Amino acid sequence: MRFTPIAVLTPAAVLAVTLTAHPATAQTAAAKIPPPTAADWAALAKLPDFGGVWEVGGGGGRGRGAAQGPALTPAAAAKRKELQSLGREDNQTANCVPPGMPGIMGQPYPMEFLLTPGKVTIVIEAYTQVRHIYTDGRPLPEDPDLKFHGTSVGRWEGNALVVDTIGFSPLTELAANVPHSDKMRIRERFTLTGPDTMSIETAVTDPGILTAPYTTTRTLQRHRSWTIAEYVCQENNRNFVDEKGKAGIRLDDPAGTTRK
Amino acid sequence: MRSLTLALIAVALLAAGSHEAAAHHSFAPFNLEAEKTISGTIKKFDWTNPHTWIWVDVTGDNGKVETWGIEGMSPNYLGRRGWSKNSLKPGDKVSIVIRPMRDGSPGGMFVRATLADGRELRQSGQAVD
Repeated sequence: MRFTPIAVLTPAAVLAVTLTAHPATAQTAAAKIPPPTAADWAALAKLPDFGGVWEVGGGGGRGRGAAQGPALTPAAAAKRKELQSLGREDNQTANCVPPGMPGIMGQPYPMEFLLTPGKVTIVIEAYTQVRHIYTDGRPLPEDPDLKFHGTSVGRWEGNALVVDTIGFSPLTELAANVPHSDKMRIRERFTLTGPDTMSIETAVTDPGILTAPYTTTRTLQRHRSWTIAEYVCQENNRNFVDEKGKAGIRLDDPAGTTRK
Repeated sequence: MRSLTLALIAVALLAAGSHEAAAHHSFAPFNLEAEKTISGTIKKFDWTNPHTWIWVDVTGDNGKVETWGIEGMSPNYLGRRGWSKNSLKPGDKVSIVIRPMRDGSPGGMFVRATLADGRELRQSGQAVD
């Protein structure tokens, strides 16, 4: 007869169970997502070919449609005027703080799309950033934590990947000198427009800030031979912006890249 | 006329280089309407993010050597446009056109460089696969 251990609930065991109750609950919730099957992996082959490394044409930027700028409510327009009057020369990206959404999608650096069952991951070279887009049918959270890239869910509509994102950090900007509210929502439509071209239509809505969706379109070019390079902004960042918005450059210490 | 030309250069530069501002920082510390050529010897070439830095020893009229720091685009950007970490080596004699610092300190933004062997380095151009 095989020895069957019988649980003896010592005080220590009870304590251990009590202490692990919360992680155990969380694990139970996560376990509701079934593991991907071979069929799930095979189904990826039927999706549009987003693979490889893509770069925003024209060296990045805000995209077509940005020239007119966002249509602001009177209050938001007044706020922008107030911020502009401060004469800030730069923003926190000079101090290596990533721009977050939507600015991170217009950088002059490439990005790579990874498709796995239930998820699209965008590896963004600039500032070494990652966007996680869940395509497993989950809803957007009711009360998301505020993040630089928000929280994203996506779905495939024909050949397009449609992504909805909410919950943005107050440290990100809707556009230059336009702070967003906690109601900002971004819908992106990613579509292959040629063998190696992709279009990203971005529509930003934010009641109280915008009187109409702020819609821009970027075109990306695929470079199959490229790889994503390292980008550690703190490696040798000599730029800075101070608390008053004054931009500067540190020219001292020419040996600054050597570990001391 | 000259100011118009300079203005047009500045606009063209902004158009060409606006991505760099979008990428990391503004042009505020540089005088985009000025152009200066410095000649000297490469002391060090930082092939680093978020910008490359070219350190050039320049001998002044008084015989004193001053090290200038020239900011270029990132190795990621330049590496896809024909540059490498070996594009400039310590000891190379070089002449570099820059947009100088507004505050007059010995530095600026890279425009183009010419080496003793006639090789010219620029930052613009199509990305290569």
